[in-house]
Amino acid sequence: MAVAFRNVTKVFPDGTVALDGFNLDFETGEFVVLLGPSGSGKTTACRILAGLEPATSGRIEVGGRDITDLPPRERGMSMVFQNYALYAHKSVYDNIAYPLRVRGVPKQRIEGRVRDTARLLQIDELMGRRPGQLSGGQAQRVAVARALVWQPEICLMDEPLSNLDAILRLQTRTELKRLHAELKTTFVFVTHDQEEAMTLGNRIAVLKDGRLVQFDTPREIYHRPASRFVAEFIGRPAMNIIEGSVAGGVFRAEGLDLAVPDRSDGTAALGIRPEHILLHRSPRDGMQPFHLDVKELVEPDILLFLSSGPLSLVVRSKADLANLDDGAEVYLELPRDRLHFFDAETGLRRP
Amino acid sequence: MRKPWRMAALATLVAVLVISLTPYLWLFMTSFKTRLDALADAPVWLFTPTFEHYPMVFLDKGYLPMVGNSLIVAGVTTALSLAIGVPAAYVFARHDFAGKEDLFFFFLTTRMAPPISVVVPMFLFFGYVGLIDTRTSVILAHSTFNLSLVVWMMRGFFADIPREIDEAAQMDGHTRAGMFLRVLLPLAAPGMAATAVLCFILSWNEFLYALILVAFESRTLTVGIPGLVTPHGTLWGQVAAVAMVATLPIVVFTFLVQRHLVRGLTFGAVKG
Repeated sequence: MAVAFRNVTKVFPDGTVALDGFNLDFETGEFVVLLGPSGSGKTTACRILAGLEPATSGRIEVGGRDITDLPPRERGMSMVFQNYALYAHKSVYDNIAYPLRVRGVPKQRIEGRVRDTARLLQIDELMGRRPGQLSGGQAQRVAVARALVWQPEICLMDEPLSNLDAILRLQTRTELKRLHAELKTTFVFVTHDQEEAMTLGNRIAVLKDGRLVQFDTPREIYHRPASRFVAEFIGRPAMNIIEGSVAGGVFRAEGLDLAVPDRSDGTAALGIRPEHILLHRSPRDGMQPFHLDVKELVEPDILLFLSSGPLSLVVRSKADLANLDDGAEVYLELPRDRLHFFDAETGLRRP
Repeated sequence: MRKPWRMAALATLVAVLVISLTPYLWLFMTSFKTRLDALADAPVWLFTPTFEHYPMVFLDKGYLPMVGNSLIVAGVTTALSLAIGVPAAYVFARHDFAGKEDLFFFFLTTRMAPPISVVVPMFLFFGYVGLIDTRTSVILAHSTFNLSLVVWMMRGFFADIPREIDEAAQMDGHTRAGMFLRVLLPLAAPGMAATAVLCFILSWNEFLYALILVAFESRTLTVGIPGLVTPHGTLWGQVAAVAMVATLPIVVFTFLVQRHLVRGLTFGAVKG
């Protein structure tokens, strides 16, 4: 069954355009991540899908059925909120059981379902507590349990990990993957953290200024970013981008000449990821010297900030270069199959 | 806390207690004093109690129905003000509409005019619709000024509840009405308790409207008390007896919701 955003636009009363002709198609059962910087419309898209926010124009379809005007309760979706939104006056058990009660599940079946879900999330010990007595990670699990207990078709998650500390965030991430593998529920996960998106999603929808920029597997997004924006947004440290122009099979920029046969002439932005640049200590053919400005140790890797004239590049290397002196001279190789070319004006990828 | 401070705090507490409780204690004693003891030049602390005032005023003089009137007026006023004011406060806290803040302020302006300036028009109005000397007229009059109190206090309480709770309730399968009645109202209960007590007290103690709008059958306790000031002198013992009964519900209510009341008065309306 397919879930689809059809040309969805959302304009808030203050004039902010949160979504601008947004289109997205995915299948149920997927783990879809909506990724984008703040203000890109990812949360708005999630809330429109949930029915918590009306679309200004456009349609939402699930399995071919137009659900644009359905209230949240009739959409078969649940949601995990960033601040968990647990009912403070109810026990953990009652919080989890609540959607079942509201949806009129027979009493004798509620208990079993709540226990099963609690066991799945390893919170069976906490059933008698109040939300106020839970740690952030526990509250998070309760919120997820409440969203999954009634087995909705789609579970929406709006930045659910951003209130957790770093270690817990990693654990919960793994946990979510396991849950998805086990339950086969459709997960729609909103985040601004590219690492979270890359590890969690089957497919990632990258949003910018209320539009879909790219919707693809993490691998494709990493290796074939559709635009300069995606290229710089995904991967840390960000992809090196060098603005210059191609003429006669050579890319020229200040501080760099690079042979790029079978590239058409014209201005272009060349990109290469820091981890794809090869480093040599001694000069080789067609390589130019760079000076080491700063090095940062990110064990087991090392980040080298290099420059040659006005041109600065970041290199991420696995080599043991900790003893490299500041100001040392190194030689860079930019492998041709690792290069990305983007249109200088539109920022779109060139084939 | 260090010892001198502790002593100072204790002394202050005692002083406050003496100041606030002495009149009440005096009232309590007076309600059991004979006329002679009550009017003695030097305050009499030890006396032979008389139990004649209570049965005299409530049974013989027929003040008992007034207790019922007061309870009905204050109770229904509170219920009515909450029934209208709480949903209104929710809308003020959650929704945006044109002129929202102006309308909100308008609610407050209804309390700005001195009550006495409105009482005559109100008397004429109730006379016109035939409600003079009914409890209904007093209830409606009291509700007008309690409504603004409810709206102003409850808006703060609803604003304190995160919006995500509304949304979680809808995702969990509630209609908007279900969300309001089953999820938000229970969460706002402490605030509602505090607001209800204030409404009740205001209505219960109100004198002016109750005096002007009713004459005989529907008199409330506050209106009844001046009736004990006779041409032959004030019947202090009976006044004290009525006053004792009149303060009782307030004391009881305040104790019942004390915890909520403090939270309600400090947190509630501040945020608005």
